[in-house]
Amino acid sequence: MAHNFKNDVVIDWCPGCGDFGILTSITQALTEMNLGGEDVVAVSGIGCSGKTPHYLNIAGVHTLHGRAIPFATGVKLANPNLKVILPSGDGDLLSIGAGHFVAEGRRNTGLTIILFDNAVYGLTKGQAAPTMQLGEKTKSLARENIFGKVNPIALALSSGYSFVARGFSFDMKQLKGLIKMALNHKGSAVIDVLQPCPTYNDVNTMDWYRERVYRLEDEPSWDPVVTKDNADSAAMKFQQAYQKALEWGEKIPTGLFYQNKTIPSFTERLSQFVPNYLTNPPASQVVFNKDHYTVVDPEKTFSDKIIA
Amino acid sequence: MDLSLTIGGPQGGGIDTSSNMINRAFAEAGYNVFAVREYHSNIKGRHSYNHIRVKEERPRSLRYPVDILVALDADTLYEHMDDVVAGSKVIYDKSFESGDLSQARLIMRDTAKRIKERLQGENLPLNVNGVIQHMKNNGVITIAVPFDAVVNSAISGGTPTRYFNTLGSAITLSIAGLPVNFTSEAIKQVFASKPKVVEDNVKVVEAAYKYCEENKLSGVPLKSFPKKQRLLLTGNDAAAIGKVMGGLRFQTYYPITPASDESTVLEEHETLSLIENEKSSLEKAGVVVIQTEDEISAITMAMGAALTGTRSATATSGPGFSLMAEGISFAGMDEVPIVITLYQRGGPSTGLPTRNGQSDLLFALNTGHGEFPRIVLSSGDIEECAYDAMKALNYAQRYQLPVIHLIDKNLATTSDLIPEIDKSRVKLIPAVSVSDKEEFLRYNLNTETGISKVGYFGKNIFWMTGDEHDELGHVTEDPEVRDRQMQKRFQKLETAAHEIPLEDRVQVFGEKEADITFVTWGSQKGPILDVIDDLKKEGIKANMLYLKMFEPFPSEFVKSFLSRSKLVVDVESNILAQASRVIRLETGIEIENAILKYSGRHMTEDEILSAAKKIINKKEKFIVEVLTNGA
Ligand SMILES: Cc1ncc(C[n+]2csc(CCOP(=O)(O)OP(=O)(O)O)c2C)c(N)n1
Ligand code: SF4
Ligand SMILES: [Mg+2]
Repeated sequence: MAHNFKNDVVIDWCPGCGDFGILTSITQALTEMNLGGEDVVAVSGIGCSGKTPHYLNIAGVHTLHGRAIPFATGVKLANPNLKVILPSGDGDLLSIGAGHFVAEGRRNTGLTIILFDNAVYGLTKGQAAPTMQLGEKTKSLARENIFGKVNPIALALSSGYSFVARGFSFDMKQLKGLIKMALNHKGSAVIDVLQPCPTYNDVNTMDWYRERVYRLEDEPSWDPVVTKDNADSAAMKFQQAYQKALEWGEKIPTGLFYQNKTIPSFTERLSQFVPNYLTNPPASQVVFNKDHYTVVDPEKTFSDKIIA
Repeated sequence: MDLSLTIGGPQGGGIDTSSNMINRAFAEAGYNVFAVREYHSNIKGRHSYNHIRVKEERPRSLRYPVDILVALDADTLYEHMDDVVAGSKVIYDKSFESGDLSQARLIMRDTAKRIKERLQGENLPLNVNGVIQHMKNNGVITIAVPFDAVVNSAISGGTPTRYFNTLGSAITLSIAGLPVNFTSEAIKQVFASKPKVVEDNVKVVEAAYKYCEENKLSGVPLKSFPKKQRLLLTGNDAAAIGKVMGGLRFQTYYPITPASDESTVLEEHETLSLIENEKSSLEKAGVVVIQTEDEISAITMAMGAALTGTRSATATSGPGFSLMAEGISFAGMDEVPIVITLYQRGGPSTGLPTRNGQSDLLFALNTGHGEFPRIVLSSGDIEECAYDAMKALNYAQRYQLPVIHLIDKNLATTSDLIPEIDKSRVKLIPAVSVSDKEEFLRYNLNTETGISKVGYFGKNIFWMTGDEHDELGHVTEDPEVRDRQMQKRFQKLETAAHEIPLEDRVQVFGEKEADITFVTWGSQKGPILDVIDDLKKEGIKANMLYLKMFEPFPSEFVKSFLSRSKLVVDVESNILAQASRVIRLETGIEIENAILKYSGRHMTEDEILSAAKKIINKKEKFIVEVLTNGA
């Protein structure tokens, strides 16, 4: 029987919150991929978004504010067979956790980062998140936002992510598809999800987005995927993605901006150096014998330290 | 034999290689060595030195004065002019004699000022000749060797300075009386993979011995002993070995002195050889070592790995440990088995990056917000670093909490010869876990030990949150569950206190009934053991209460032991006498005397001895002796 990915836990998001659409898209994607409950792990930071793991019937850890990425990297590197999703906020991933966000692009571990982009810090009552436009004044702010905005798509591209996409929490069909693609991608993926927060963000509302979003895949010529066979198109596709990343305002593109399947994942890079890494990863290793003594031979392993 | 050597020169000038040659040469002849590195936070040029003690039995400490001082630069002569006394020998390059103190621009300004005042006070010129005269006045035997000429007699062409460190080591060893074959053998080991380099350096060794012979400098030939197989290890090495033996398969780090060498050693040995017959079909396994973007990532990434059932750890020093605080609090709340090896250096802030300190004890006991159980243990010699590393991983698994393993810089970078690492000394204790796919409550409250069964990502479905949680791991603010989860977590500490053998928490060395009791932890263990022997020779009975575990603290034992002691002296490398504070908090006993050092340098046998005698003789209370040995 297919695993039920929905969990029997009371969801305490505000009515009308965009988070519900993201949660549904995740459970649908996992169900359609026919994954087992033990195959996927959810790792989140802190925020309204960070509560997501509790609402999923898979192993989950709701970590520290900003730290979902390094936590998830540890999970994935110790057990590279797992699929790891990171439902976390824009404040979490792009402010307090920005260093990790950039570092993960360099690693390309194989994480699926689902960025809940509501332009505010929901759980702490609506302060400006790094994704809020300069000069924007939501009802939760005492005065207009005097910070500039970070562009999540452009930052993900610059950091080296090999899969960069944008979804809209009220377009679950597209979002579900993007999540499935990201989970099947061997490197790390960022999906920037436009997520209305009706409680604090009265500027970027569901209707505001609905009027603006359009799907990249609806453009017949749009081909953002770099494979072994068209590897020489990587630079052009990166530039085209970057150009699309700058589009904001009247029209906001959603869909897959860029995917590069030729960049080796971090687990592949490690496997060149760590013996039997992919077949006998840290999580599978037996470290002691039946008498509970170590299986490591210290003298052979550290023979260079011996004076004999 | 009891020989004290110092070899000094510019940082990056091969001082470590020199020391390695000396250590290995004596080891080849069956002696024991204990070699301490002192260096600036600098890559090239500033003064660095190795202080080495050689004995037939295992040396446990350093001692001043120095018997042989080898100067590979003029700075060494200035910096160590008072480390040598009547009968000590000083070897230096004749060309240094033209040097002036004003040219020694890399000596720290205040150090130079002190040297200047010292020379002026004796009406000596402010140059190398002045220093040499100062030493001669004190009865030191100064030996100027034409370094260039000796090297050129062995090797034609090339840069003679490249061989100065070999030359310095070889002259030292010749003066010490070590037969040349041991020195040549050491050269072969040091440059193992480079035959041409071995050949040239052996020639330099031979020339050095010949020079000493011709100039009547060679020492009386030393006995040699049948050598046994031993390991030449630093504390960094020992901790790395202990970790992989203890089952470590995932280590994270962000570079920092003096911790990152442990991770480098692990990276260099990421291929683990498995014991024959123990392996299933595999001969090799791998340990994953990741250099992270910062220490916040280091602690959280290691925790992520731990949740898959992998034994995981990180290693850092003060500044990085500060960044880990929030993560450690999470490990306490969420019962994540994680080991943090905390290499202590001189703080606060960036402090003395390459020097010793024991000022993070109180911080280690209190790192992280909120109240949560942790285990804090400390090692006092290089062997302990290995076995404690194994035990630390065990504690993390058994009690499902953060374990902080304290190692001070004095141990991290000191080399010692260890007889063997005994595989059967520490059994690996597994976590109490559920079977694959079993449904379970990760934070089951129905436990007497406080230890709930664990499951693993990839095998089981369970939840975790840094928020207070119910048995399933979901967020709760229910007051009753909150209380019970708090109590359950702290119950584990009681269980640990009950299960962990007392000798892993506190040990007593020396006389049963003593006139003076030293209380210490960490790297002072060795020097105090020597001081206890010294005092015995003078008819003073001494013992030592040696603390190994600060959480859970062995309060009862410490209380009863100290209340029976006559004169108690706390010995630590910090200004607050932090262990004394812990003892007062845990037992109510106030230790009135202290020998403290916070200059960042090793405590040496001689200085502890003289401070102890002062305290014994003064017979007044509240004496604090501050030690100052070391350049
Ligand atoms: C270290 C730390 N600092 C501050 C907080 C308080 N805090 C909780 S959630 C949050 C912001 C959440 O915003 P975002 O990541 O955008 O998530 P959202 O609630 O919008 O989904 C902050 C600052 C915290 N939990 N930890
Ligand atoms: S505050 Fe905003 S983001 Fe948080 S649950 Fe409510 S609507 Fe959603
Ligand atoms: Mg947000």
